[in-house]
Amino acid sequence: MGGEGFTRKGFRLFDFLFSLFIGMNSKDNLTGLLDRFGCLQAAEKLLTTSLHNKTSFAVVWLDLDRFKKINDSFGHTGGDAVIRNLAERLQRVVGRSVIARMSSDEFVFLLPECDRPHAESFSRLLAETVQELIPIGNMTLCPTASIGIAIHETGETSLDVLERADRAMGAAKSKGGNCIVCSGDEPTPGRLGISLAREELLIESNLHVALETGGLCLNYQPLVRADGSIEAVEALMRCSVKGENLPPAKFIPVAEKTGLVVRLGEWSLLQGALQAQMLQNQGYQIKVAINVSRAQLTSPKFTQALNAALICSNVNPALLELELTESLFMDISNTVQMNLRNAIATGVTLSIDDFGTGYSCLANLKDIPARKLKLDRAFVTVLPEDARALAVVRAMVQLGHELDMTVVAEGCERQEENDLLLEAGVDAIQGYFYAKPMPEQELVQWLQSWSTK
Amino acid sequence: MSETSRDASPSVVADLIERTILDVGIPPCPYILDRFITEMRQDDPDFNRLATLIGSDVGLSAGLIKTANSPYFGVRQRVRSVNEALAILGLRTASGAVAGLILRDAFPNVPNLERFWDASARIALLSGWLAQYFEIRGLRAEDAYTFGLFRDCGIPVLLGRFPHYGQLLAKANQELERGFTEVEEDELPTNHAMVGCLLAQNWWLPEEICLAIRNHHDAEALVSEGSNLPQLSRRLIAVSQLAEYIVQRQSGLSQTREWEKLGDGCMRVLTLDEVQLEKLYIEAEPIATSSD
Repeated sequence: MGGEGFTRKGFRLFDFLFSLFIGMNSKDNLTGLLDRFGCLQAAEKLLTTSLHNKTSFAVVWLDLDRFKKINDSFGHTGGDAVIRNLAERLQRVVGRSVIARMSSDEFVFLLPECDRPHAESFSRLLAETVQELIPIGNMTLCPTASIGIAIHETGETSLDVLERADRAMGAAKSKGGNCIVCSGDEPTPGRLGISLAREELLIESNLHVALETGGLCLNYQPLVRADGSIEAVEALMRCSVKGENLPPAKFIPVAEKTGLVVRLGEWSLLQGALQAQMLQNQGYQIKVAINVSRAQLTSPKFTQALNAALICSNVNPALLELELTESLFMDISNTVQMNLRNAIATGVTLSIDDFGTGYSCLANLKDIPARKLKLDRAFVTVLPEDARALAVVRAMVQLGHELDMTVVAEGCERQEENDLLLEAGVDAIQGYFYAKPMPEQELVQWLQSWSTK
Repeated sequence: MSETSRDASPSVVADLIERTILDVGIPPCPYILDRFITEMRQDDPDFNRLATLIGSDVGLSAGLIKTANSPYFGVRQRVRSVNEALAILGLRTASGAVAGLILRDAFPNVPNLERFWDASARIALLSGWLAQYFEIRGLRAEDAYTFGLFRDCGIPVLLGRFPHYGQLLAKANQELERGFTEVEEDELPTNHAMVGCLLAQNWWLPEEICLAIRNHHDAEALVSEGSNLPQLSRRLIAVSQLAEYIVQRQSGLSQTREWEKLGDGCMRVLTLDEVQLEKLYIEAEPIATSSD
């Protein structure tokens, strides 16, 4: 879709020549607007007039955000209805300018006698027009668009301007969509190619959908002590949209990038706290461990959110544990320090997740008010084969114990790993060897059957 | 739902709210909303199942039909049955309406909330009317209405948990300089906006409504270019603050000082000037005084 539409399909010259030979009424069937060829012709004509009148003109390229999602959710008939509806509304605001449909969800506007401020205010009007709600089936849709602007510069062909507008639109898309970028202002493309940015965009919109349609849930994986009792359960977020599971490895980075991770984190704080309270009501005094992201801890509202979750769930704070990644302790800002202090003051405990792989800053370890170390799974999986890994695990266990911390190993899948970990003095073990992460109903059943073992 | 309608079928309402019996601070997501969400995820949602479920509660059915027919809920046809209400409102809007109806009954252990809910209902209705009045793109009357009902839903939660919260509220209401939530945080580790946001999120309310609840006393977030607050959330906040201002001015009872702190920002968000405000006030007065 979108950015690759105009130039990257490689038939630019063909487009151009074809446009010269085809009749004047090169129209799009669905909307009755000009199509690509019609657009090229009109652009060529506009260039000639502008050169003659010594005026400048602008090209505005509009691409609907998340259109694939619309098509996926509502079928192509639904998608077509949206495009028709949109085309009608866009037509009402264009005035004397030319409008064309370039591909499924892309529109181009040619604005005669137009400078940058005019093009920008016109684009804002377009953005607002797009945002009108569209009824579709029994839902309403609030579409947004990415918009690119290019003003014709001396010496440029009509194709050049169109191409720049297309690129500017691509830049708007990379910024997350729903914004306007003027050619020349777009950032140089980073390591992430546009296609990746679009995948991220889709994931982001799926996360929003999940937040509103019950697509999020927590699964719980037990941490089992050497004596078989339960140390805690770790809450792990699952996200599914329209029956499709989004793997955490995909949605967590996007959530972190977009800031959505804060909202997801607050959601899991409350759910985890409610779960701990529910377990207590059923007679299980078991800690629930909840992952807290860097973005949450650097937010000045973290303390209020944590306390709101505690108040809303009415849980004994001692039954909550916040898991922080060790990278957080590389540089502890004042806000983070304050948030950690406030968290401890409520009575919740802290643990350090994935310890030993990232930035094990031993100098900071002594100052961190955490009560638990969770050794990264990377040490565990190589244990039976790698004697040196075992030595490292022993040393970390000793270090943790010297600092009065509970030491837990993650990712244990095999009997041999389990035995070696216990031998090394690890206090509790988490992993498929004992149980996979389970939804809340299964967890209760598992706890029942475990206690009778 | 009125008191009488609730009395008509207490057991069913209790079922719908379910799990409230657990000793928790917020009412858990009502079973019926879970059902709505489950249907929304289907490619071909089964309205009949939902209609039967809602139909088993007389008060809820009557409430939904009445809401659907309210001129501020964006429906032009007259609705006569739950089935029609669902078909015409759509699942998303209908679930918002149902959530609003249940909310009032979701705090059985907190006494003396009648006046609080009456005030919320009044502001919600006027917000719906204002949303229609402004004809802002993307701002739907029913969202403004739902937001009006849920805006302060953190308050009953905190009233139920902290005996002195009533006095704290009175203090925050009178505060002219500092933000409302700042005053709450003098004595509490959190505030009603944050609690309300968690509740709304837990009930799967739309994202923009949740964010508007979280920020509805935040003058900075309302107008700041840099804040991540979506436009729609800002407009929801502005419309409801304006509704509150009109209701309080009309009744002659200024229970809060929020308009003094947020009014300028709200008018900027709604691109409203003083002259237009006065004209609007005259038009809105009958709505503000009418009982729903």
